[in-house]
Amino acid sequence: MTQISRLSRTDWFGPLLATIIAIVVIRAFSANFLSSFNIQILLLAIAVNALVAYSQMIIIAIGQMNLSVGAIGGLAAISFVGMIEVWGIPAPLAVILALAIGVGCGVINGVLIRITGISAFVITLATLSIFKGINLGITEAQPFYGVPDSVKAFGSALVFGPIPWLVVPTVLVAVGLWFMLSRMPVGRFILAVGSNEHAAGLSGISVGATVIIAHGISGLLAAIAGVLVVARLQIGQPSIGDDWLILSFAAPVIGGAILAGGHVSVSATFLGVVIVAIITQALVLFNIDPFLVQVVLGALILAAVGLNKLRARAPIGQGT
Amino acid sequence: MTDSTPIFQARAIEKAFPGVMALSGVDMTLHSGSIHALLGENGAGKSTLIKVITGVHAPTAGTLLLDGEQVSFANPRDAIVQGIGVVHQERNLFPRFSIAENIHLEQLAGGLIKPIDYKELNENARPWLRALDLDIDPATPVSELSVARMQLVEIAKALSLQSRVLLLDEPTASLTSSETDRLFTILRRLRDSGTSLVFVSHKLEEVQEICDRVTVLRDGANACDSQPMQGVGRQDLVRMMIGRAEGTASWRASDTSTHPEVLGLSDVSTTLGHKGINLSVRKGEVVGLYGLVGAGRTELAKAIMGKFALTGGTVAINGAPVTIPNVAAAIHDHGLGYISEDRKNEGLILQHSVLSNVGVPIWRKLAGRFGTLFDRDIRKAALPYLQKLEVKTPSLSQTVANLSGGNQQKISVAKWLAAGVQFLIVDEPSVGIDIKTKAYLHELLRDLADQGTAILVISSDMPEMIALADRIAVMDDYRIMGEIANTGKYDEIAPAIMALIHDSVAPAA
Amino acid sequence: MTSPDSTLPASPLGPNAGRSTTHFFLSNEFGLILLIVIFAMIFGATAQGFLSKFNLFTLGRNSAVNIMIGLSMMTVIVTGGLNLAVGAMGVSVAMTCGWLIEGVGVPWPLAILGALAFGAALGWINGAMVVKTGLHSFIITLATMSIFFGAMIFLTRAESFRELPSAFSTFGRMKFGGYLSPLLLVTLVVALLLAWLYRRTLTGREMLAAGASPAAAELSGIRVDRIITLCHMLSGVLAGLAALMLVARNGAAIPSMAGQLGQDWLLPAFLGPVLGGTLLQGGKVSVLGTVLGAFLVTMLSSGLLMLQVGAFWVQTFLGLMLLVAVLLDKARRSYLARRNLA
Repeated sequence: MTQISRLSRTDWFGPLLATIIAIVVIRAFSANFLSSFNIQILLLAIAVNALVAYSQMIIIAIGQMNLSVGAIGGLAAISFVGMIEVWGIPAPLAVILALAIGVGCGVINGVLIRITGISAFVITLATLSIFKGINLGITEAQPFYGVPDSVKAFGSALVFGPIPWLVVPTVLVAVGLWFMLSRMPVGRFILAVGSNEHAAGLSGISVGATVIIAHGISGLLAAIAGVLVVARLQIGQPSIGDDWLILSFAAPVIGGAILAGGHVSVSATFLGVVIVAIITQALVLFNIDPFLVQVVLGALILAAVGLNKLRARAPIGQGT
Repeated sequence: MTDSTPIFQARAIEKAFPGVMALSGVDMTLHSGSIHALLGENGAGKSTLIKVITGVHAPTAGTLLLDGEQVSFANPRDAIVQGIGVVHQERNLFPRFSIAENIHLEQLAGGLIKPIDYKELNENARPWLRALDLDIDPATPVSELSVARMQLVEIAKALSLQSRVLLLDEPTASLTSSETDRLFTILRRLRDSGTSLVFVSHKLEEVQEICDRVTVLRDGANACDSQPMQGVGRQDLVRMMIGRAEGTASWRASDTSTHPEVLGLSDVSTTLGHKGINLSVRKGEVVGLYGLVGAGRTELAKAIMGKFALTGGTVAINGAPVTIPNVAAAIHDHGLGYISEDRKNEGLILQHSVLSNVGVPIWRKLAGRFGTLFDRDIRKAALPYLQKLEVKTPSLSQTVANLSGGNQQKISVAKWLAAGVQFLIVDEPSVGIDIKTKAYLHELLRDLADQGTAILVISSDMPEMIALADRIAVMDDYRIMGEIANTGKYDEIAPAIMALIHDSVAPAA
Repeated sequence: MTSPDSTLPASPLGPNAGRSTTHFFLSNEFGLILLIVIFAMIFGATAQGFLSKFNLFTLGRNSAVNIMIGLSMMTVIVTGGLNLAVGAMGVSVAMTCGWLIEGVGVPWPLAILGALAFGAALGWINGAMVVKTGLHSFIITLATMSIFFGAMIFLTRAESFRELPSAFSTFGRMKFGGYLSPLLLVTLVVALLLAWLYRRTLTGREMLAAGASPAAAELSGIRVDRIITLCHMLSGVLAGLAALMLVARNGAAIPSMAGQLGQDWLLPAFLGPVLGGTLLQGGKVSVLGTVLGAFLVTMLSSGLLMLQVGAFWVQTFLGLMLLVAVLLDKARRSYLARRNLA
């Protein structure tokens, strides 16, 4: 009995239950749902979206927000292809440079927020515009087509069965993030700063460095997501990242993240991404208007924040 | 145990804030192996002194000596590093982190990437927990602990940082009596092992039970400086805290027993836990509502104002039973007013002008057709009251945040004078204002009552209560414990009030 | 400066005039006017045709829309919140208007009123949810932005209403004196009404008080919940007005006119109020500042385009402007605080 109530308090239990129910229900109505082709499509969507969600999650962990996740991802994506096409740089080096650009953009966010003391919302709104403008300025809104064959191959190759290679970086990132947030001092500092900045300062944590590191990680994850999208689409679209904003908040919030900071869950956020992907896929399968995805996404956010609030109100445990 | 060398000294500490001299030449000397009481009433300068010692505020003048050497703290962190630990009333813990991690977060600050060895962390935390008689698994998340245990975890954290001076700010405020006893056992053990403890509390019995030295502050100065506790009686402490002379002087008897009742509560209970509250305030009467912090006084005031819902009983205004759905109705339909104890957050709109603040409750009254509202009308309505109260401000467009506490409080009062309320609740009228304004304010409230306003004064400042009220209702644990007709004689009334709170036999006067 | 110890002047005619002039020169609005004049001179001298009648007409027409979007956001910023759904709400109102005219056959003046009422209703949904749940408006409006836009696209099948009465496009093309767009006049009238609202009406003053300190406002007799909901409704109406002006300009109600999810409006929506000195924490507002800020932004975009900077770089400049503006504002405020003028 207490086992169940304990389970229900974990972040991943609710989303997992929802995921399983969704899979069972949709499978009952559509035999195609678990076909290997469908699973492959689901996994491709999850691979990118999970990185987008993690990029926002790490900022939610410090109690801030990052509106420029999509702009950073888009800039990294077009720089990646652009460097290969225009300068003829080998793909591995271009990947490294694109990720460095992502980190750089994130660090710029963090430093600006830290030294100006202006809210993350305003700063990242400004940098969203700056990064996106640079993207458009470089590409003039035209895609780069020079994606090398090696990258195209990576984007469409399968590890085994329906599992694409694209999920490998995402899985590595998820495990790495989980390890960082639960086992490494830097991860603990990020959560500590998000939970109580004042107390974190009193405990000798450099709040400024922690905030900048978190933004750097956020930029890195957004850049990885951007590069993966290029591999999947086989083209360097300037519009990559434009539609990431809602999703980036939806998945962490469905995964029980507290927007005030200090508490996020890598596994539950992942499940949040899975739920969104399954519902999107189901709408396609049942020939329901794909435009309704937006409505569902918005409703999911409202439902999740509402539930989180209720959960926070219930006593966490009783002392003796 | 009393004649050790001083480990920490504060000498002639002065601290000035805009408009207020919070500390004027305060001394305190702490010895190792001692528990030192720091006493004083609200506004006496206790919390400012704590903030100076723990590096939150830099003193305007004066020196701090640690082991005989002059020190200065750039920030709270600096004070901690140099061995001054503090356990605040609010918790400075990370609720979702384990006990061990909360205690040792400090030690992790060395590296960023090196994986944390939680087994080792837990082992390292055990001795500190054992020293505090805490028999819990160090891997337990702090959020699962009781308040008392969280406090002990903070003490453990401070000790693990080699704190030699440990300030405890009202540590027993939210503890049960058995938890308090356990805390005291631990504090005594810490004392015997050489720590210097500073114990800040309102509860004099506890202070007498556990402390061996005492410093009392009154009006920002020492009423006594680090005296040994031996031979100091409870009455002596009270005398030093309040100063005998005031308290009795300004009270004057007034017979209001025949006046009509303005506010009557009968058998009222609220969603917040008030039970069977009976209270009556007549026209022209000042009724005191005395109780310690947490007794439910402010909450009752807000329930009367319609902010919290009633679950039973009736509220009558001028004899007629009413239901007050929200605060706006209380103010505009029934002529009630409430001056909050939390002036900065609930009382005033700090970033707005004097005129804006003083006018809020009368805006509706002054608004013309189509909801137009003109500054000149507000000025005409409010200025006489600002002038009457001698509010000191360069202009009516001055931002309220830039005024002194006393002037801010005058504006809070002027606001309700301008609104012409028939019933006014004043919650802790003298928080953060100087002694002169305080006397003036008391005079003003009495005058207001004489002109017919019914006033309910909420205070935990006993001399203030005895100086102001015609009758005193005593509240404890969300209930009214009884009522006392005020005679203005401190020696009679104070013990009677305490007797009601403690439900014990009143000591002979 | 006067010492804070002086007692109130006996005469009820409050603040001394000398200080309010220095105040004006240190104000945000004066800075913006200065910038507008300087940039107008620079562009006038360097960009061919910047001061031509046609360019002034398009400049006025574009700034009419941008100012209105800024005002829409400003009404919510007053409460200390924000409204990410401005774009989604605006487009929804425009499409509702188009549907009322083409689908239902309502005469256009009634259709406009009906559509604006719909905008108020969308605002009511936002406001009621913010008040009831106690969650920050950021997450609420992020969700409703997605919901409103998704529902709008679903219901319209992403198709435009192009058969609108000619009154719309005539109004959009109309020029007074060859260069003044009536759209700009509409916006300026709305701005004047808002300035009146915040300065001279009970509701406006209550909005400011509720935004500055909800707790203090409630205990002073203001129905804070209602007032905040009202602010969101006002935002919905103004967002709808902005979108309807775009319809007049384009001659059609187009679902993509504010970009994906209406996100294209977000930057102009914040640029105006933030440049204009409206506090993001709420409780202080400058209608004039918002108008000037949004106008400056529109003028800069237009000027940079004429200087052949490249349409795509303009967005970068706007982002940089927002950064520079908040930094300057911070510096100005700390200077004023130090001199105890604020």
